[in-house]
Amino acid sequence: MPLGTLDRSPPPFFRQGASALSKLIVCSALALFLMVADTRFNLTQPLRVALAAVVYPMQWLVLRPVLLTQEVISYFESLKQSQSSAEMARQKLGQQSQRANQVEQLTLENARLRQILQLRERITTPSQAAQVLYDSADPYSRKVIIDKGLLQGVSAGSPVLDERGVLGQVTRAYPSVSEVTLVTDREQAIPVLNVRTGARAVAFGDPTANANALELRFMASNADVRVGDVLTTSGVDGVYPPGLPVARVDKIERRVETAFAHIYCTPLAGVDGALHVMVLQPISGQIAPRPAPDIPPKSVKKGLAP
Amino acid sequence: MIMRQGQQQLLLPANPLFIWGSLLLALFWVMVQNMGLWGRAAWVPDLLAVVLVFWGVHQPLRVGVGFAFVFGLVIDVHQGSVLGQHALAYTVLNFFATSIHRRLLWFPVPSQALHVLPLFFTAHAVELAVRMMVGGTFPGLILLLAPVIESLLWPIVSVILLLPQRRAPDRDDHRPL
Repeated sequence: MPLGTLDRSPPPFFRQGASALSKLIVCSALALFLMVADTRFNLTQPLRVALAAVVYPMQWLVLRPVLLTQEVISYFESLKQSQSSAEMARQKLGQQSQRANQVEQLTLENARLRQILQLRERITTPSQAAQVLYDSADPYSRKVIIDKGLLQGVSAGSPVLDERGVLGQVTRAYPSVSEVTLVTDREQAIPVLNVRTGARAVAFGDPTANANALELRFMASNADVRVGDVLTTSGVDGVYPPGLPVARVDKIERRVETAFAHIYCTPLAGVDGALHVMVLQPISGQIAPRPAPDIPPKSVKKGLAP
Repeated sequence: MIMRQGQQQLLLPANPLFIWGSLLLALFWVMVQNMGLWGRAAWVPDLLAVVLVFWGVHQPLRVGVGFAFVFGLVIDVHQGSVLGQHALAYTVLNFFATSIHRRLLWFPVPSQALHVLPLFFTAHAVELAVRMMVGGTFPGLILLLAPVIESLLWPIVSVILLLPQRRAPDRDDHRPL
């Protein structure tokens, strides 16, 4: 038997390093600290960005064969299918052209009317196109990754749209990619306006598993909401520009025992399969700052006056 | 050298490059599963956890708790989950792997798979507990499938990863492997 067949170095008797238990304690304490810092204090973004810079080359490398396969599959997609999709796109364009051509005139008219009424100018938001790379692997949340990041000027908080409606919001921006939390995520809330009635509400992601829906919370059980109502962004939050379609009311449960109705909506944007999206800049940088709060006069406590 | 019951041959020493290469490959495979195959499905097995447990059992001096922690952080950043979630799960996983490593290898490989099943269950339970505490969507009972698939992968992984150590000690041109 030649040398080197067996691991000949004997296991160290005395210098065995820290025991597994002490390592477990240290590492779990560190992990707990990181979790608290991440969820409660939002301190870990620099660490995340640094680690993401290390992980990104690996992700890039892994993504190449994936994208190549997708490209090959789409290449062999039948000619008929692509022709029909082009036909559909042309029809849609035709339907939209009338409204689109009127927009210029309407914007002009709107601007003049606002001037006359001395209202504040309507805000225009710069935007850039991006591509959805993949779904984030975390099964506990609803997020996707897009291919624009800090280097392209995407910042956390930017709204993201697809061709049908609001898809979500950028929650973390890394150097070359960013993470978009979908409107169906449980943690995501979006202020909406019912187009039919003009009533404002807040839509939350539906917390049940595999629901891919939104829930309109805190609406009184006799609120004027009907199935089929379209909800658009209301623009009161300083994040989303007003008037973007968000969802359609799908199901309403009015129960006697609760004060609120259960209203479920389906998102209009393709939360399952959006491919090309627009990233807007958050309008919070453009709207006027809040007025300074009036300092209330110091209240004189009763009975303590000198 | 004490031969374990049922062990066919003495194993060659493990090549550190092979250990790290296999861990990196498992990481890449986890990324491919996410990016190209199944997206965010909850039942998807975590191959990196299986490989980490494998090396934690076979080479506890080389792949320790600290490395499991670092790999967990990398997965956390890749997935965009809570920072420290996978780090904690892998730390616990590797600690248990280290604590059963002397006993586990005396069993045949199929019963080893049964022995590591509770480990994978624990790791997923840790992740679930963390996410439920910080407010995440419950992914459904299909999550229970992940540890089962992981322990079913254990025999395959242990055959493949032990192949380089099972080569003949002196090279034979008629038997290249």
